[in-house]
Amino acid sequence: MALDAHRIPEEPYYRPVAGEVALFEAAYAARMPMMLKGPTGCGKTRFIEHMAWRLGRPLVTVACHEDMTASDLVGRFLLDPGGTVWHDGPLTQAVRHGAICYLDEIVEARQDTTVVIHPLTDARRILPLEKRNELVQAHPDFQLVISYNPGYQSVLKDLKESTKQRFAAIEFGYPDAAVEAEIVAHESGVAAGTAALLVRIAASSRNLKGHGLQEGVSTRMLIHAGRLAAQGIALETACRIALVLPITDDADVRDAFSAAVSAAIA
Amino acid sequence: MPDDQSRQFPADTAFSTVERRLVAYLVALWRLRVPIRHAKPDAAGNPPRRVSLSDGLIWMPGTFRGVEGRRSGALFRAALVHAGAHLRFTGPRFPAAGLKPLQLALVSLIEDARVEQLAMREHPGLLRVWRPFHVAEPDGAGTAPALMARLARALIDPGYRDGDAWVAKGRRLFFEAEGEWDNPALSRRIGGLLGNDLGQMRVQFNSKDHVVEPAYRDDNIGLWDHGEAPPTPPSDAEPVFEAFRTEQEERDHGRPDEQLGEGATPARLSATDVPARAVGEEEITAPPLRYPEWDYRVGIDRPDWVVLNERRTGSGDPADIARIVERHRATADRLTALVRSAKVSRPVRLRRQPEGDRMDLDACIDAMVSHRRGEAPDPRVHEVLVRRNRDLSVLLLLDVSASTGDPVAGGGRSVLSVEREAATLFAQALDGLGDPFAIHAFRSNGRQDVSYYRIKAFRQPYDDAARGRLAGLTAGLSTRLGTALRHAGRLLERQATHRRLLLVVTDGEPSDIDVADRRYLLDDARRAVLALAARGIDCFVIGLDPQGREYLTRMFGGRNVMVIDRADKLPEVLPTFYLRLST
Repeated sequence: MALDAHRIPEEPYYRPVAGEVALFEAAYAARMPMMLKGPTGCGKTRFIEHMAWRLGRPLVTVACHEDMTASDLVGRFLLDPGGTVWHDGPLTQAVRHGAICYLDEIVEARQDTTVVIHPLTDARRILPLEKRNELVQAHPDFQLVISYNPGYQSVLKDLKESTKQRFAAIEFGYPDAAVEAEIVAHESGVAAGTAALLVRIAASSRNLKGHGLQEGVSTRMLIHAGRLAAQGIALETACRIALVLPITDDADVRDAFSAAVSAAIA
Repeated sequence: MPDDQSRQFPADTAFSTVERRLVAYLVALWRLRVPIRHAKPDAAGNPPRRVSLSDGLIWMPGTFRGVEGRRSGALFRAALVHAGAHLRFTGPRFPAAGLKPLQLALVSLIEDARVEQLAMREHPGLLRVWRPFHVAEPDGAGTAPALMARLARALIDPGYRDGDAWVAKGRRLFFEAEGEWDNPALSRRIGGLLGNDLGQMRVQFNSKDHVVEPAYRDDNIGLWDHGEAPPTPPSDAEPVFEAFRTEQEERDHGRPDEQLGEGATPARLSATDVPARAVGEEEITAPPLRYPEWDYRVGIDRPDWVVLNERRTGSGDPADIARIVERHRATADRLTALVRSAKVSRPVRLRRQPEGDRMDLDACIDAMVSHRRGEAPDPRVHEVLVRRNRDLSVLLLLDVSASTGDPVAGGGRSVLSVEREAATLFAQALDGLGDPFAIHAFRSNGRQDVSYYRIKAFRQPYDDAARGRLAGLTAGLSTRLGTALRHAGRLLERQATHRRLLLVVTDGEPSDIDVADRRYLLDDARRAVLALAARGIDCFVIGLDPQGREYLTRMFGGRNVMVIDRADKLPEVLPTFYLRLST
């Protein structure tokens, strides 16, 4: 198989929160293009890995960036001793061989790049390769999934209306305190009590969202702090290096957040 | 470490220096965003000694007397978080009727301890914030204040030992009732009992001199309902001032010819430094200019038809503008973030360059293909990243005709004050961005007198003088848009930037007293916009009239019109609209 390297051999840990697994399965059954919305570090990428494993499909992930061109997605001609050869890009590979193609942080890509996915995301399900003069009909198992962080620089970077409207969306947020503590404990190996405390600390940073912080502490950051604490680093220090210092450079907000961390720890 | 430095409060701390971080702290703990006011001295001129809570505000002393500098930062933190605990956990006011002063003081003390214990259930580390200020010792004097300070310490400090029977009783009653801490009535019950006991011990208590200890605790006046209006600290003039300003604007446009004599209403006018001059009395700052006007009926530009005078606005109080920024703090912060990301000039990849720091893969392949075909390959096989610099200037033109004195739908503010707020946030954003910008305003009174105000010109800094002019804007007269556009275009044209943007904010159709034909001024404005476009100036309009799309489209063209259905959203919309246009 062409995409064996993209298969996920073992079940990635994912703790379902609100029936999103069933929703995604239904969407996959219809091969509906999906959009995963939510703040950074709340489990979008982990979720899609888990779903690819569950559905038994290879997962082709493309981290989008500003400098990405359409040929970085679709493919290009390269040279070899015999002349030019066509190399499929990651999107074309996924389309040909029936993978789930996951375009991570699609708003980072330029809008003219993202329009190449349009023919794939409507009833046609085709990918025209104009350089090769080829029309690739999508494999029946192919599905396109994008992730999108709506709070993120919404004015300067946003999806085109014509792109947005091709997707169904599942919204992700930070889970309830109890569930989040369970996730933090599982992923970082700290005791349940410590995980619950970390989640309370996260709540104080999320209170600061819009009051100096762009975004509260994510579940991923909590797991980082937990991993450090699990290795014997004092919890306040672990929070400082994994939560407080990375999240802001504003001295006042940093002071407020460190003081809130210290208030949470007995 | 640098951050350890910043965590230390500098010696001799005034509240204003630590305000921002402490406000953020309260938000982080409880999502409490409480307006904090700086408490003013009382009638006798004594500075306040304790924090006070009233009317949902926290009144904070500027400094604490008798606390040496380094500790005062920690004291402000303890005081603010104690006030926060009250706001979070204290219920409705206790009725004060029938209680003796000593009982009032003790109920307050128990209530203080109760809210602190509840706060520490959520945030156990707060103990370290408060405990250092409890310095009462068990061998202290047996006076009421000393005993109360000892009780206060006994209720928060688990390690404290005190042999006094009354303190021990208070402690026992309080901690035995731990299950009822959620109930404010508990404070009333225990405080009442302890007050009785202390009264029977005949210790001295002078309610007049009583100051709550330790110093971080508030004066507890806000806890009590005395059955009449509670004594409030002197209130800021802000809400009153808002009312005053609208009133003044209405008077201005209602009777434009009336001169507002200085001293006519001295009490009210003291709220601003200088009263705004009535329309028509403003100083003319440049020789009059004549502009042509388009007459669609005959199809010609009537030469030198309109006279435009540049005038100076009455100057207002720059502090008003600072207050606007404060009121829209969340929006202003978000704009700052947007501006920061817009400011960094974005890298652009230029392909097929004759030289550069990387190879352009596609160009290389094309070159090799042509090489093998035997053609001369294109040597431009490099790519470079260049930074695209922002190179544009913008002129914001505000309509300040009489209709802008009307209140916006669903709010007491006038359209003009909304425009002012929008211009404030706009200026704030642009000042951070570094794009050259100007803020001008216009109104008209027939073709012989179009007034044009430069609130902030391109060359001027956005300083207190500009803020004062912005604060001093008043509403009045009519909207001869075309002439204002021509003049704005003339000023904007002198800017040596690649792009020049004219942003108009208006709340209605062009109109003037000497024009009855609705189409006349519309077509003139349209003509002016076309002329500006021909000279490379882009015009955009934000309409505050929900029904305005049709006529605005006629003047500016469909793509250059943005109509917002709720005028009060303008302060948020205007700067983001600009950022979207300019990136």
